[in-house]
Amino acid sequence: MAKRGVALFLLLFLGITFFLLKEISGSEEGQEELKKPKESGEKIVSSPKDIREKISVYVFMGWMWLSIFILIYILRQKISEADRILRLKYFKGNKDNS
Amino acid sequence: MGKLDLGNWLDERLGLKLISRFLKEKKVPLHRHTPWYYTGSAILLFFTIQVITGFMLLFYYKPTLELANKSVAQIMNEVPLGWIIRSIHSWSASFMIACVFIHLIGIWLAKSYRKPREMTWLSGVILLLISLAFGFTGYLLPWDELSLSATKVGTDIPRSIPVVGIWVTKLLRGGEDVTQDTLTRFFGLHVSVLPIFAFLLIALHVYFIQKHGMSVPVEIEIKNEKPNELPFWPNFVYREMIVWLLLFGVLISVSILFPPSLGEEADLMAPAPEGIKPEWYFLFLFQTLKIFPAKILGVEGETVAIILILIAVLLFALLPFLDNKPAERKGKFVSLIAYLVILYALFMSIWSLM
Repeated sequence: MAKRGVALFLLLFLGITFFLLKEISGSEEGQEELKKPKESGEKIVSSPKDIREKISVYVFMGWMWLSIFILIYILRQKISEADRILRLKYFKGNKDNS
Repeated sequence: MGKLDLGNWLDERLGLKLISRFLKEKKVPLHRHTPWYYTGSAILLFFTIQVITGFMLLFYYKPTLELANKSVAQIMNEVPLGWIIRSIHSWSASFMIACVFIHLIGIWLAKSYRKPREMTWLSGVILLLISLAFGFTGYLLPWDELSLSATKVGTDIPRSIPVVGIWVTKLLRGGEDVTQDTLTRFFGLHVSVLPIFAFLLIALHVYFIQKHGMSVPVEIEIKNEKPNELPFWPNFVYREMIVWLLLFGVLISVSILFPPSLGEEADLMAPAPEGIKPEWYFLFLFQTLKIFPAKILGVEGETVAIILILIAVLLFALLPFLDNKPAERKGKFVSLIAYLVILYALFMSIWSLM
């Protein structure tokens, strides 16, 4: 069951990474338009420059939060394990003392 | 060379076993205020992000009057994902300063600066001032109308200090007015001088923390109880990693959703635009200066305000020496002042925005 979960996660991870890379490299095509000189008095707003970049950025954000939640899940398991070992050591120490 | 040999080879030269033994033996007190400890490492996280994104921006930024604004525009328009890098740099500066404030407030309320941690507090206060200096110098670098006007106002404030005021203003600006010399100075301070001091002070601060261990709040110390402890490695580090991940996610999301814009290129001859506001962390000081009347007993109101602010900063830095009996009445009075200062800063910042 765990192996299947890992395989599914890897598949998702690689798929999204591939999609992202493809999207980001694709968005380079739209860069020519952006090299136009800035008109006087114009305020430059930072934002995705075209729909491709916009989609890729939002997909990246989704992928990032998914990865963060998975990592937090793993870390919580690690914390439980580390705390369990600590409790074992503590009680073992108490037993030895008595 | 086998794996084990490489480990020994490195250990003989770098003393890695000493570090790993230290990390294994290091303990973190466990009590209801333990989450405050996370703010310290959060500052380090944002500082690291600042350094990395700062290096990336440095490859494209050009600190001259003709090219400063254009190079930032280039970063935002032409450099692949440059707008995100700039946005992360800008937002992580705000996040870092927010964490520094929260960290110091936590220490103030827990009175963790008490003996023997006076130097840890002092180095922390200097780091706060360095963080603010990072924000102030970085604000000018995009060289747009707002940054020029804010820097003019900001560098003009020391002028009111008696005796040395005019000299300080000239030193900051590199002359009478904000010019290319100011931009060069601010750039040099932002990318070279301040980082060197920040690295040295962070190293010193971390050393002091390791030397004295993590402090427990005064209320726990009074009870004379030994609080439960958590091993730093791995129990506490795993918990910290969760905080780092969440903060990192929030930073990236905010940077993508609310990126900073770039104003029109600054014109040295143009009049200052109306409604100039500094960065959020200077708002309460800005509003404090605004509410003072023009003259107080024949003295310039701004001069009085600046002297009072400088005295307040000095008292804040000397807190461990002033609050030397934290468990007694004096200590409770200092805690009350802490709450009043927080309320004052919040009220003035909100007022400034209205």
